[in-house]
Amino acid sequence: MQEKVEKFIVPIGPQHPALKEPGHFEFSVDGEEVTGATIRLGFVHRGIEKMTESRTWIQNLYMLERVCGICSHVHGIAYTLGVEKLAGVTVPPRAQAIRTIVLELERIQSHMLWLGVAAHEGGFDTLFMYSWRDRETVMDLFELISGNRVQHSVNLVGGVKYDITPEQKQKVLDGLNYLEGRIQYYEKIITTDDTFLGRTRNVGKMTKEEATLLGAVGPTARASGVERDVRVESPYASYPGHPVNIVLDEGGDLTSRFIVRIREMFESIRVIREILTNLPESELTVRVPRRIPAGEVISRVEAPRGELFYYIKSAGGENPYRIKIRTPSLCNWGTISSVAVGHKLADMPMLLVGIDPCFSCNDRLVTVRKETSSQTMYWEDLRKYGVEYYQ
Amino acid sequence: MSIGTMFGDIIKSLFKKPATEKYPFERKAEPERLRSKLHWEPEKCTGCMMCVKDCPANALELEVIDRAKKQFVMRYYIDRCTFCDQCVRSCRFDCLHLSNDEWELASLGAVPMTITYGREEDIQFLLDKKANPDNPGGHPECN
Amino acid sequence: MSLTLPSLVSILVFPAGMFLILLGMVYEYVDRKLVARYQNRFGPRWFQPLADMFKLLAKEEIIPDGVNKALFIFLPILGVTAALTSALYTPMLGFAPAFSFRGDLILVVYMLSVLTICLGLAGANTVDRFSLVGATRTLTQLFSYEAPFMLTLLGPALAAGTLQISQINAYAQDTWWMILTQPIGFLVALIGLMGKLELPPFDAPEAETEIVSGALTEYSGRGLALFRIGKNVELVIGLTLISAFYLGGLANPLEFILKTLGLLLVIALLQSLFARLRIDQTVGLWWRIGAILALVQILILVVGRLFF
Repeated sequence: MQEKVEKFIVPIGPQHPALKEPGHFEFSVDGEEVTGATIRLGFVHRGIEKMTESRTWIQNLYMLERVCGICSHVHGIAYTLGVEKLAGVTVPPRAQAIRTIVLELERIQSHMLWLGVAAHEGGFDTLFMYSWRDRETVMDLFELISGNRVQHSVNLVGGVKYDITPEQKQKVLDGLNYLEGRIQYYEKIITTDDTFLGRTRNVGKMTKEEATLLGAVGPTARASGVERDVRVESPYASYPGHPVNIVLDEGGDLTSRFIVRIREMFESIRVIREILTNLPESELTVRVPRRIPAGEVISRVEAPRGELFYYIKSAGGENPYRIKIRTPSLCNWGTISSVAVGHKLADMPMLLVGIDPCFSCNDRLVTVRKETSSQTMYWEDLRKYGVEYYQ
Repeated sequence: MSIGTMFGDIIKSLFKKPATEKYPFERKAEPERLRSKLHWEPEKCTGCMMCVKDCPANALELEVIDRAKKQFVMRYYIDRCTFCDQCVRSCRFDCLHLSNDEWELASLGAVPMTITYGREEDIQFLLDKKANPDNPGGHPECN
Repeated sequence: MSLTLPSLVSILVFPAGMFLILLGMVYEYVDRKLVARYQNRFGPRWFQPLADMFKLLAKEEIIPDGVNKALFIFLPILGVTAALTSALYTPMLGFAPAFSFRGDLILVVYMLSVLTICLGLAGANTVDRFSLVGATRTLTQLFSYEAPFMLTLLGPALAAGTLQISQINAYAQDTWWMILTQPIGFLVALIGLMGKLELPPFDAPEAETEIVSGALTEYSGRGLALFRIGKNVELVIGLTLISAFYLGGLANPLEFILKTLGLLLVIALLQSLFARLRIDQTVGLWWRIGAILALVQILILVVGRLFF
């Protein structure tokens, strides 16, 4: 019975061509088949949550926009929405509309980027190059609206910095028209190209029950038929006035994740057009006090990758008392280790990228509780533990 | 079900100009709202220090020699600046603005990355103050 | 057209030695440039393959722990030698082969496989896990495309009634282009060549997003340069063979350049058209479709020869 089985483990990461950010994955394989997977994160922990405690409310906005490079705006939104709620101010409608437009543009940008990366992992470099070429259209629109391509910094605490002029509006609409055509083309490719479907169909299949159990969020969950979208559940910014249709697919495999993300882009384009044609007239900013009244708030928004969660606590000073961030990638990691088993090694990069992981997003403190007991450590104990640990 | 769905696009590309921009040789016009190097107009400044306080990257330093005579010197560290536009928004007297054409800011050393704005005599005054060791609190490196 | 060259010249300079290495680089450049243009990019400049090669040759060669040192150094040399040797029997630039004997086609086909076997062995020689997986995949792929590829080269040989490359070349010049009479064989041969060279979509053995660089992960410097030279040389020889057999033979340098570059255009197109196949899909494709198609082609030929 006690047969000694030697495992052949293929390590992927921290440095690996498939990973654009550091993370460590160990796949134990039997030939080409994966029999087990472990994930280790934490290579890019930057201590952002702690850093926010020593900066002012205004400085923190720019710090938090840098949690993620791809979805910087949505972090800013989650933060500003929370702070504005704490301060008890309402942002003017035009500012909310502009925020929402940039949010949806960012979703298109992020999904286009993901499409390219996923195609590259599947060895389809042509699709990668083309989708990134067309992504430039959105980047140019960002440049048009805010001046910057990646860190747009459109937000201010209490409004937005940039207005959208009628000429810009026309340019955005033109860009969207071009993109819509291209995205339709990409939808055709990913749903009909046999070589590509051969790599995605029935890979990483996750049922609705599994997705719910593993706590998947965002497009990953929606591709398994779980109706979970913060924009629909608790609309923020301009979403109450311009509701979003939830995009669902029942397949649960990689193909479904492609389809869901592609169709979400159509939905984003529709919402942007709707808001742009009904752009309300108002001020762009509202005054927010420099000292935020004491209190705590939970702020949830739908990032391109899923639900982004901010907990903000103020003690009434110029700095926040505590900010806790939970990014969508962290929720989705769990799905990989359970879904990976039984697939081919060649599917692993695509499976990894299928949840659209953002490593530096989710590298923050995670407390792993043992099943039997939970432990609360006070600052002094933690300090002592740290000193002993590093002796 | 088909294979080679991108055929048309690929063939078209063969006869099309590549999408890549040959950056140092070909330049696109700067976007109107591009955020690059910060400029400061000392005439309007009142020395309220809001920009310094709000800067998320600590890229601004404002030295007040004489507030009543409007003698200010601003030290601006481009290498720290994240071009977020917050100082411009924080300034109530409209004396800061980001230009949109000075964006090629790479440099081989740290020295050109520090820019001192202000009147010549004010800058000279500060430099003299630094050079003078009798001056209390005049740490040249960390002020 | 026939030219006789002193054997030393033919081994060191033309058609096998320096000339072929340089020609291989030119073809690598053309291939990369074409793929880039298909993908709407600029692609490398003309000296890029040469610069790569010089850089690699100048770099330190690291011999990792746990390998058989002699094999580690010897395998790339053997691979390149085999590839260069096979060039001696092919109508390079449309000239008559430097050496020729009855049945040299068989020799060339085996010589072309030696490089792949060397690649597999080189991967299996190291203890690196990516190399091992890559080596397994390389050898698996070798067993899948080799039989159909050989069968497709046999088709024109059967039609010409000889196994001597120069005679097949001469026969091809006299008759219809065999791409018209044996279209299935041509297609399988072309795709077989892509499998042999591990070009996308058959690049599972060196899929960078899965196993870094496959069997060559541990190679650096000279060894890597030699393997790359070997691959380039194989590309040229493969193109030469296919265009000599299926595209109406090679009679002069102009014809050689036009026909091989035309083929390269198609190969680059195929490279950019598909997503990478998993190794199990590759094997399945070759044995379920490739081998059967090649066999069907041979059968048609045999039956055709019996009746006409």
